[in-house]
Amino acid sequence: MGIKPRILTIDRNQRNLELLNQFLGKEGYETLPMTTLSDLAKILEHPEKLGLALVDISGFDRSIWEYCEQLSNKGIPLLVVAPQQLANIRQEGLSHGADGVLFKPLVVKELMSLIRSLIREDSNE
Amino acid sequence: MDQSKTVYENNQAINERVPTGIAGLDEILQGGLVARRAYLLRGNPGNGKTTVGLHFLTTGAACGEQTLFITMGETEGQIRHNAASLGFDLSDVKFLDLAPSPDFFSQMQSYDIFSPADVERDPTTERITTEVERLKPTRVFVDAMTQFRYLSSDDFQFRRQVHSFLRFLVDNGATVIFSSEASPAQPDDDLQYMSDGIIVLENDTNTRTISVTKFRGSDFISGKHSMRLSNRGMEVFPRLLPISEIRQEFASELIPSGIPEFDELTHGGLERGTITIITGPTGVGKTTVGMQFMKEAAGRGERSVIYTFEEWSQMLIRRSQSIGIPVESMVNRGILSVVQVEPLRYTPDEFARMVRKDVEENGAAIVMIDSISGYRLSVRGEELVRHLHALCKYLQGKGVAVVLINEIEDVVGQFRVSDIGISYIADTIIFLRYLELRGELRRAIGVLKKRLSDFQKTMREYEITRYGLKVGKPLNELRGILTGIPEWDETGDRR
Repeated sequence: MGIKPRILTIDRNQRNLELLNQFLGKEGYETLPMTTLSDLAKILEHPEKLGLALVDISGFDRSIWEYCEQLSNKGIPLLVVAPQQLANIRQEGLSHGADGVLFKPLVVKELMSLIRSLIREDSNE
Repeated sequence: MDQSKTVYENNQAINERVPTGIAGLDEILQGGLVARRAYLLRGNPGNGKTTVGLHFLTTGAACGEQTLFITMGETEGQIRHNAASLGFDLSDVKFLDLAPSPDFFSQMQSYDIFSPADVERDPTTERITTEVERLKPTRVFVDAMTQFRYLSSDDFQFRRQVHSFLRFLVDNGATVIFSSEASPAQPDDDLQYMSDGIIVLENDTNTRTISVTKFRGSDFISGKHSMRLSNRGMEVFPRLLPISEIRQEFASELIPSGIPEFDELTHGGLERGTITIITGPTGVGKTTVGMQFMKEAAGRGERSVIYTFEEWSQMLIRRSQSIGIPVESMVNRGILSVVQVEPLRYTPDEFARMVRKDVEENGAAIVMIDSISGYRLSVRGEELVRHLHALCKYLQGKGVAVVLINEIEDVVGQFRVSDIGISYIADTIIFLRYLELRGELRRAIGVLKKRLSDFQKTMREYEITRYGLKVGKPLNELRGILTGIPEWDETGDRR
């Protein structure tokens, strides 16, 4: 098995980001954490090494959807994390290129199986 | 053979008791908690859960035991501060403070991406494990176990976690008390099943009670017992259980009243170990009649106690003094105690404990409760008869002659023994009546019932003078005395 691809994580809440990276780190993934959209914009210029993007949309304005579309267009599998269980958020996420929309609090098992399937699919191609 | 060994070891284990440090509670538990088991402590906020924990831990610490307070709500600082104001010495009690720190509130620490169960469980478990293995405590208090519920993803996980947590503590040699914060929305039934015993703290209509509802491997005194929280911590007053008292052998001798005419009525006086009700309307002289027996007992050097619920003790002393009963000198000689009881201050269990302590320490020939209505106030809605019964039977078992003063509300009219339905309790009933005779208010005394001996069936007139109680000749010539408006018996009019 080769090195696991890096996961881009973006979250406005520092503690959330910390926990997420801690968790992914324990699972053996390298992460690329960020809290602002400008950081995200920079990364989008060189997205080659990213295996997956995990975007927590809470706290961002609607422009986050544009970035989601960009990530998706560059062929990066995208998981959107939303604060509450709202039907239109799921729809909106999927329409902006997300491969899945998850609601907080994340269920560890569900998250892991989604990440695995998305990354594996990708590497099989 | 192996089996018998385990049984033996089990017996050994059950015999090993861990006192809680609350005297009354240990009495209820028949010596204390069974060692190396886990007990659930239930109660609403403010009912004294933490106080029980403090008693439990400091008692152990005072004997050099290793003790651990695991707190998940209040901080260590708060607990230490509150404990100090209650006079607990927590210097040797170790703390594991799992309460959230203030920075948890700030943005940096709060999170929502994972559930708390996923985030906090591992670090919490690790801290507990490390601390318990380091200290090897013999007493652990967990306040409150229900907090673990938020660290579990579902009920099944919670059950398993609590189970294994308790096992872990007990296997490390600890006796555990864990509290629960139950609410209708989040019942703690599962915890009740998991514990080896349950102690419940309640506060209904201003009466604090403690009760044990489960205690594996041991007997206990069931029911609700009064409890008091004060600035010295918790005090528990176990219910009196007359049955469990060993009935003492006592001479079935009589305590006379010292007035020949009166003693004729009762055929010699009151027997020790019996219960006498003196009943009658207000002002008729019930207390005085009871005091008459005490005066006579004092003459023979025997001690009596009056619990007065209604009168100020000073007033009682002065009043008795004026009718030829030397209460003051009796009190000074230590042969009579007049205890004024503020009914609203005591619960029946507390009162019973007070009486019991006095009788056991100082002995008493006669105990008088003046009056049942006053006592009733302290019972406040609980079953009056049950409490009075327990107290009287206890005193009876100690060979004390119990005198209960019972007030009838009607001054005249249809005769009744008691308004409360307690006459069954009495071995002897002495009744006092007002009579209207030729427009004059007179008084009559009679005996209605006497279990241990015969008695005179006629009533006698009596007066209370400044030389004391004066009892006259039998009222043979009157009939209809019990109606309060007697008539001369035509056949025997001698006047």
